[in-house]
Amino acid sequence: MTAPILSMDAVHKSFGDAHIIRGVDIELLAGERRAVIGPNGAGKSTLFHLISGQLKPDKGQIILNDQEIQGLPPQRINHLGLARSFQITNIFPGLTVFENVRIAVSQRHGLQYSLWRLIDRIHNVSEQTDSIMEKVRLSANRDTLAGELSYSEQRALEIGMTLASDPRVILLDEPMAGMSHEETDYMVALIREVTQGRSLLIVEHDMDVVFSLSDRISVLVYGELIATGTPDEIRNDSRVQEAYLGEEVSA
Amino acid sequence: MKHSRFLILAAIVLLFALPAILSHSLVNAVNQMLIAALFACAFNLLCGQAGMLSFGHAAYFGIGAFATLHAMGIMGQESLLPTPLLPLAGACVGFLSGLAAGWFSTKRTGVYFSMITLALAELLHTMAPHLRSLFGGEAGLSGMRYPALGLTFGSDIHVYYLTLVWVLGAIGLQYYITLTPYGRLVLALRENSHRLSFLGYNVHHLGTLTFALSAMLTGIAGGLQAISIEASNYAIFDMHLSSEVVLNTYIGGVNVFLGPILGAAVMTFFGNAASDLTRNWLLYKGIIFVLVMMFMPTGIAGLVMMLTANLRKYSALLLWPVLLLSCIATFLLTMGTVFTVEMMQRILSQDYQMLAQMSDGGEWPPVQLFGRQWLPGSLISWGLPVVLFVAGGYFVKLAKNRWRVLQEASSDQSSETDSIHNLGEMTTESEHELNEREKA
Repeated sequence: MTAPILSMDAVHKSFGDAHIIRGVDIELLAGERRAVIGPNGAGKSTLFHLISGQLKPDKGQIILNDQEIQGLPPQRINHLGLARSFQITNIFPGLTVFENVRIAVSQRHGLQYSLWRLIDRIHNVSEQTDSIMEKVRLSANRDTLAGELSYSEQRALEIGMTLASDPRVILLDEPMAGMSHEETDYMVALIREVTQGRSLLIVEHDMDVVFSLSDRISVLVYGELIATGTPDEIRNDSRVQEAYLGEEVSA
Repeated sequence: MKHSRFLILAAIVLLFALPAILSHSLVNAVNQMLIAALFACAFNLLCGQAGMLSFGHAAYFGIGAFATLHAMGIMGQESLLPTPLLPLAGACVGFLSGLAAGWFSTKRTGVYFSMITLALAELLHTMAPHLRSLFGGEAGLSGMRYPALGLTFGSDIHVYYLTLVWVLGAIGLQYYITLTPYGRLVLALRENSHRLSFLGYNVHHLGTLTFALSAMLTGIAGGLQAISIEASNYAIFDMHLSSEVVLNTYIGGVNVFLGPILGAAVMTFFGNAASDLTRNWLLYKGIIFVLVMMFMPTGIAGLVMMLTANLRKYSALLLWPVLLLSCIATFLLTMGTVFTVEMMQRILSQDYQMLAQMSDGGEWPPVQLFGRQWLPGSLISWGLPVVLFVAGGYFVKLAKNRWRVLQEASSDQSSETDSIHNLGEMTTESEHELNEREKA
């Protein structure tokens, strides 16, 4: 069995009196696609914020690649090989699609303080930008302002930008929200393709996507993981049915 | 693109030829315009491009000026640098102080950032008179330009060319930076700094560097000012200068690189010209700023771009009548406003109030304005501005109608709507302008 690339150990997070994450342990293996599901308010997004450095855990350890990352700033965690997308589209609305992706690509070329080179002359950056735009089917929108894209195109851009830093671990927060069937199908195929050889942690409400895409599924309810297993195991788990799927049915 | 390049080239050639054409005092005025243009351009790196509104940029202008004076050699000391290189002192010290101030202020964003910059500048303004060795106390410091490179730098013309070369160089450098990877990141910082950090960029370092570069270019502008007047005192740190650069930049337009340059040049010229003509010039400046912010938030640059876009879209023959009518309307409304303001100012002045009291119940004495006598009690004195406003409003209406006809004719042919929308805004603009001025 391969070693975990990302693990959380007894992680807690409270906001005032609200104890949102109550001792989560999770191990994401290298190359694994893992979905985190759970009812609204279970703390899925908070979990992602803790891993990606947006929030600091109150207690517990988060380890990425044998290195403790809890409380590190987001850019450090990104440098260590983790990239994420956001539930609410988080792009540069006033810049073109090309510019959005190019900014994401530039990072791994260490160009933050490059004041002397013309960016248009740095060809490998442009090439990688083009290839990512092609991957997420946005080549035709190259010069459109990102803020003027349709909602699903913005979601695709968001994923393209997440991929651009060539991360080993990818966190996707509800990538399919608001997409049509056709777009969802394409996105599933895309995610499957681009996460080849990487680890994926995904939060998604579309159960078809969750069960078809993931190797294993973790169920988060009220800040605690109540089950982890293969899609079949989860489908047949009585606690999960009671706590989550049952709720969905009755609702 | 080709047109704008040609225009910029022509402007540069004209700037180099100016001393041969203009009188000395006008060359001095252009010198001031150039310095203000560089200041606004440097300010806009932070404000327009990185999206961080600084209310304390006078600090870096002043620091640049004093650093340059120190390098110049105060009270007969040796000069540290040959005269043409003196602005380097302003640049270096500006950069370093920007690095320090930027490190603190860019820890926060939005209003909090603005407040920190304001506080730092006010701190400096308060401390400066007490730091005698640095800023020369309340009297300030003065220096002298030494001859260098076979030039005496004694005449205004030499100073003008020194300023021109530095301003063009600094603005050129800043433009070049916008084309580098770092320059693109600055725009992303404005758009969404949160996302930038999750893409692996250190947003704080990026903001600090941008602040420092802006302060560096501002320091050059301050240095050029110090060179041209050979003196400075702590008043340079006043809030007034900080707010002026904000106004100039917004009037010019923050979204276009050349906007602030244009705005600063125009407003500096306006200030020079209007302050000779009337005591109320600051009021007019304020009115212009309010109107621009309300009806033309993209500034002069936005207006120019809208005009060129529409000129491309419609034949000039059809567009000219609209423009002409708009110009007439603007002229009439402006005249109405100016007449009212000047009249009120004279009547409300203390001198006149004394005279009026002496007339003791009789008719108030006439007011001298525009080479004529106006009786405050007469119908014509108040009827004239009303007529001007009504006529201005009528021309606004004419322009709007003309524009609507033009739009309807073209919407049959094309379905594009953006520039129509734009000019539509402009005409409603003039109408609002009318309302605004009547209120005033």
